[in-house]
Amino acid sequence: MMTEQSNFNFEQCIKCTVCTVYCPVASVNPLFPGPKQAGPDGERLRLKHKGFYDESLKWCLNCKRCEVACPSNVRIGDIIQAARIKHSTKKPGLREKMLANTDFMGSMATPFAPIVNFSVGLKPVKVVLDKVIGIDHRRTFPKYSFGTFESWMKRRRKKQAKYARQVSYFHGCYVNYNNPQLGKDFVKVMNALGVGVQMLEKEKCCGVPLISNGLIDKARRQGEVNTASIRKSVVENKWPVVGTSSTCTFTLRDEYPHLLDIDNADVRDHIELATRYIYRLLAEGNVQLRFKKKAPVRRVAYHTACHMEKLGWAYYSIELLRMIPGVELTVLDSQCCGIAGTYGFKKENYPTAQAIGEGIFRKIEASGCDVVSTDCETCKWQIEMSTSKPVVHPISLLAEALE
Amino acid sequence: MRFDTVIIGGGLAGLICGIRLAKQGERCAIISLGHSALHFSSGSLELLGALPDGSTVVSPADALDALRQMAPEHPYARYSRERFLALAAEGATLMQEAGVATFGSAEQNHYRLTPVGAMKPAWLTFEGYVHSPNADSLPWKNVALFNAEGFLDFYAQFLKDEMLRMGTKCAAYTFNLPELEQIRQNPTEMRSANIARIFDKRETLDKLADIIAAKMDDAEAILLPAVLGVDCKDGVRYLEQKLGRKVAVIATLPPSVPGLQVQTLLRRYFQELGGVYMLGDTAVGYKSEGNKITAVYTRNHGDIPFLATNYVLATGSFFSGGLEATNDRICEPLFGADVQYVADRGEWYDRDLFKPQAYESFGVKTDELLRAMRQGQVIDNLYVAGATLPGFNAVKEGCGAGVSILTALDVAERILSKK
Amino acid sequence: MTKQADVIIIGGGATGAGVARDCALRGIKALLLERGDIATGATGRNHGLLHSGARYAVTDRESAEECIKENMILRRIASHCVEETDGLFLSLPEDGLEFQAKFIEACRAAGIRADAIDPKEALRLEPSANPAMIGAVRVPDGAVDPFRLTMANLIDAKAHGAEVLTYHKVTELIREQDRIVGVKAVDCRSGEKKEFRAEIVVNAGGIWGHDLAAMAGVTVKMLPAKGSLLIFGHRVNNIVLNRCRKPADADILVPGDTISLIGTTSSKVPFDEVDNMYVTADEVDLLLREGTKLAPSLAHTRILRAYAGVRPLVASDDDPSGRSVSRGIVVLDHATRDGLEGFITITGGKLMTYRLMAEWTVDLICKKLNINKKCTTAECKLPGSREKEEKISKRLHSVPVAQRESAINRHGEMAERLDVGDAAARSLVCECEEVSVGEVKYALNELDVHNLVDLRRRTRVGMGTCQGELCACRAAGIMAEAGKYCSHQAKQDLVSFLNERWKGMAPVAWGDTLRESEFTMWLYDGVCGLKNEKTE
Repeated sequence: MMTEQSNFNFEQCIKCTVCTVYCPVASVNPLFPGPKQAGPDGERLRLKHKGFYDESLKWCLNCKRCEVACPSNVRIGDIIQAARIKHSTKKPGLREKMLANTDFMGSMATPFAPIVNFSVGLKPVKVVLDKVIGIDHRRTFPKYSFGTFESWMKRRRKKQAKYARQVSYFHGCYVNYNNPQLGKDFVKVMNALGVGVQMLEKEKCCGVPLISNGLIDKARRQGEVNTASIRKSVVENKWPVVGTSSTCTFTLRDEYPHLLDIDNADVRDHIELATRYIYRLLAEGNVQLRFKKKAPVRRVAYHTACHMEKLGWAYYSIELLRMIPGVELTVLDSQCCGIAGTYGFKKENYPTAQAIGEGIFRKIEASGCDVVSTDCETCKWQIEMSTSKPVVHPISLLAEALE
Repeated sequence: MRFDTVIIGGGLAGLICGIRLAKQGERCAIISLGHSALHFSSGSLELLGALPDGSTVVSPADALDALRQMAPEHPYARYSRERFLALAAEGATLMQEAGVATFGSAEQNHYRLTPVGAMKPAWLTFEGYVHSPNADSLPWKNVALFNAEGFLDFYAQFLKDEMLRMGTKCAAYTFNLPELEQIRQNPTEMRSANIARIFDKRETLDKLADIIAAKMDDAEAILLPAVLGVDCKDGVRYLEQKLGRKVAVIATLPPSVPGLQVQTLLRRYFQELGGVYMLGDTAVGYKSEGNKITAVYTRNHGDIPFLATNYVLATGSFFSGGLEATNDRICEPLFGADVQYVADRGEWYDRDLFKPQAYESFGVKTDELLRAMRQGQVIDNLYVAGATLPGFNAVKEGCGAGVSILTALDVAERILSKK
Repeated sequence: MTKQADVIIIGGGATGAGVARDCALRGIKALLLERGDIATGATGRNHGLLHSGARYAVTDRESAEECIKENMILRRIASHCVEETDGLFLSLPEDGLEFQAKFIEACRAAGIRADAIDPKEALRLEPSANPAMIGAVRVPDGAVDPFRLTMANLIDAKAHGAEVLTYHKVTELIREQDRIVGVKAVDCRSGEKKEFRAEIVVNAGGIWGHDLAAMAGVTVKMLPAKGSLLIFGHRVNNIVLNRCRKPADADILVPGDTISLIGTTSSKVPFDEVDNMYVTADEVDLLLREGTKLAPSLAHTRILRAYAGVRPLVASDDDPSGRSVSRGIVVLDHATRDGLEGFITITGGKLMTYRLMAEWTVDLICKKLNINKKCTTAECKLPGSREKEEKISKRLHSVPVAQRESAINRHGEMAERLDVGDAAARSLVCECEEVSVGEVKYALNELDVHNLVDLRRRTRVGMGTCQGELCACRAAGIMAEAGKYCSHQAKQDLVSFLNERWKGMAPVAWGDTLRESEFTMWLYDGVCGLKNEKTE
């Protein structure tokens, strides 16, 4: 069967050019060779000699939309990222380290959140970040929260342990440092379903910003720590691991084995996204969610984040949103918004990121929605910065609607 | 996930089947491994262009009897003239409803102009594409042809010479725009879709109109490669209004802009009707009870199966993975359905690429009701539509789109009639 | 029309090209006539193995010595045609290790570096090698691109005054008494008949030399032996893999440019088949079966195509001197052998020894023409091999990496002649092999290209994964625009190019290769409506 698993996956490419139509980067930035050339075509040349590696592969934002489009199951995005990992000679600089170490930056920032949030919003600070470090001054920074989600959770361990059914929650850096409320919403929804929420024994950043900023060894180390914790949860405790971030979840499942050579075959299927977990629970029919009686009408536009598209799981989030009383749902055409994690923060990528997102921004404004919903935190930053609409995670919308 | 019908394969057959079912209120899901062969469309759909003996078909409906005689296993062979025409008419209507404006009829083929200047019989040609009632002439005596400078997937010289042979004088020009300069910086991405995208902006079309106006002279018609917008679908009409001349486009080599537009429109229509389209997923397994399929499993959805009353196999032929060839056999990889083929590999091919290739007519065996067979037994709720079927040569007989649409509608009706 | 030259060389393979170059460098006016394109016979249809000679060390010491000498010379003079990969001779459990000791000893006796290495080390050096091996010997094998090599010889020959006419088929050798004084030929493209006169005519026709000799009224008995090979989709190995045993079928896996190839089979074929050989299913199966023993991953690797060549083996009983046969190279002076002046046959040998064959031939020519000039082809570098790749690369830094490296690999410093100054010229025609519009135009203008298949031999257009699916039409379009032919001819050329590709794909058309071919057919037959007029 034409699956992703064959030995030389790039050879399944029939040169049909479909991927080139759906690459968000190539259509706005001529410096990127495009998915076909950078991926399967280039791989064949790189096998001949590593000198064929082209540093312009850095323009790939790893959205994997080429893979979703490919009728031959070629892992185009993986091929490109793996080539960067293997061949790039560019050393990550201060900026890369700052952007990549979301964990470290977050733990430094949260105790001083009001000061940090205030200062990175200041014009002079932005100018310095732009000129000295190369983080674009037009970019709005995600706000840090005062106190982490982890510290909030620690106080609730005992209560959570009382539920008959348990899951481990991979909250990710964003929930921990920037938006603990989403984590709290998740706990609320899970509890409403009769499920207790645990934390992993050790949770590190999933590694996606490390991978995209070239800090592979660190990404691998963190990936190993996470996988060990996941294994403990899944194998020993029989608790599945659930996340609210599509990118973190995708990374734990697929980028680990494909890019970091971490074997997670035994636990991969037990790592999933919150909306999928909830959908399944509800579909089993043993539990129900009780919604508030009087729900105001809310027009919600769902944006399918790139890694959500790759996972193929937007269906679950959409189905859950449809269940919420009062929600009038529009599903936006699945397109990249341009941010791609830390990609859009870099000065040189800013124009590309905004040009990629232009179409979706226009559609969001035109949709007449009150709120945009998406499973990805970086899409949220990008859309909130580039449109007039607030962005709320489906789980938060769900939590809000609960009785 | 529970549906009424799950369709495996998101190309023309899968989409048409899904649309037809969804229109009747059926809850349908389509599982599609990437984008389909529609992305290589010629700008026309073909119903029947030639008989297996190579003779040209003028009227597909009239040629049915001869086809039945020559190829009793052809998917069309099961249809009476009336049924054939009714299915074809319904297909044309669905396309129209989805927003695909077309020209043509099942009673009488017309001809489309190919990217290298040949004329091929067509059933439905998308609005704005060059076509003619005759195989050896175009509707104009004097045309001007404009190609984007440095665009390598379109052949002005070939077209010009062939048109001249058909009695149409053709002046060929190239045009350049700052937006093209940018695309050209990339050595590979000067492709049809990327060029077309710049014409999604009206200002760019205006600039093109100015260039054409300055050179068009007394040309009756202005011809261009099919690159006048991806999201914007009225590029041809807009130029016509600006120029006051007939404007028509000709398909390019892949990717095909008309193809991806049609794919988008059909998919959107299907989704508007409540259909669920799962792109980038692969069906990898199934469960059955007796002669019924009870669940299909996919790579993305893992342990959450697609449950349905009926399943449709519209996975295409070899290219799309509906059939798989190894050095000693041909199989249908998902259900292990029975495949009609010749055992000796040497007989799969003709040494001339341009002669009919036997492998093209291999496909999954079905009963009269288009239900798949496995080990000689009918699978009660698994229907087969489109290129996965045996008994025809889509390219040589010019019937690929027709078989996809007609059998998809046929399958949809059979599913609906079971209710 | 009558043209004069000192020497007429019939045959545009490596040998003919080498003779033309050697003549030109020694100041002898040479005219080369080739009935088709260059390197279409055995030259272009073998492994492309830069033999170290190790393969012959045990069975044919003299061949082995010639090989290692020429090997070292080619590395120097033809560096852009050569890849210095080294080779491994693997002993598999079924081979045993007895042969290895004899092999190493024989290699060393012939002057070939041969180091036994630990199988683990061998696997580290070449991860695709069969991990079941029990022994490995490292030797200085390599890869050589026969098309580039032949072309480079001709470029240099022309630069030194030689004339090269491809698509000129010799129809008659003009004989006056006991002397060959020239040839009659037909220009296959225009149909024009021509006559050429010279002091000496050299028969470098490979297997077709059999018929040429007959035209001259002498007998050179050849035995055509068919050898089939498979080309894999990418470079599976980076070191040549051989079996450490007596030479047999399908026991060499050579990495060449972007691909790897396994060969060969060996079987006698009748003369009437040598112009159009098809690889059989049995041959494909044998090549795959044996190939996977060298590199197990071949079982899961896409096979691009299959092809076959003919080795021109010369029957020894016809050689009165007895001198040449044992070494493989056969130079026949028909004056001494048959009493026919002005006619020399050069045959036998192998791609590896083309230069030596040319040297011997031109030595004989010099003797006959009373010219006292020494051969310099072992020292003078071929065009393309005269500068270091890194240097050229720096000068072409504005060209995108993959395109630049590909052009330099193919053309050496001649890559600077490619016009890739503007973006349009840098557009890729062939995306698999990174062939730009500028490179296609360079080939059309300077490298004797008359059709798409010729273009393929100069540039690798259509040699990649898609086998012409995207690039063939683009290239035909450029050729028509450049006035190489009219658009009608362009389309028929496109048809024959695609059919030539299909000929190689059909024997292995399953899996992705069949998918590719189906797609190609949809595009060209379906979307474009191309027709093969030859069959209608």
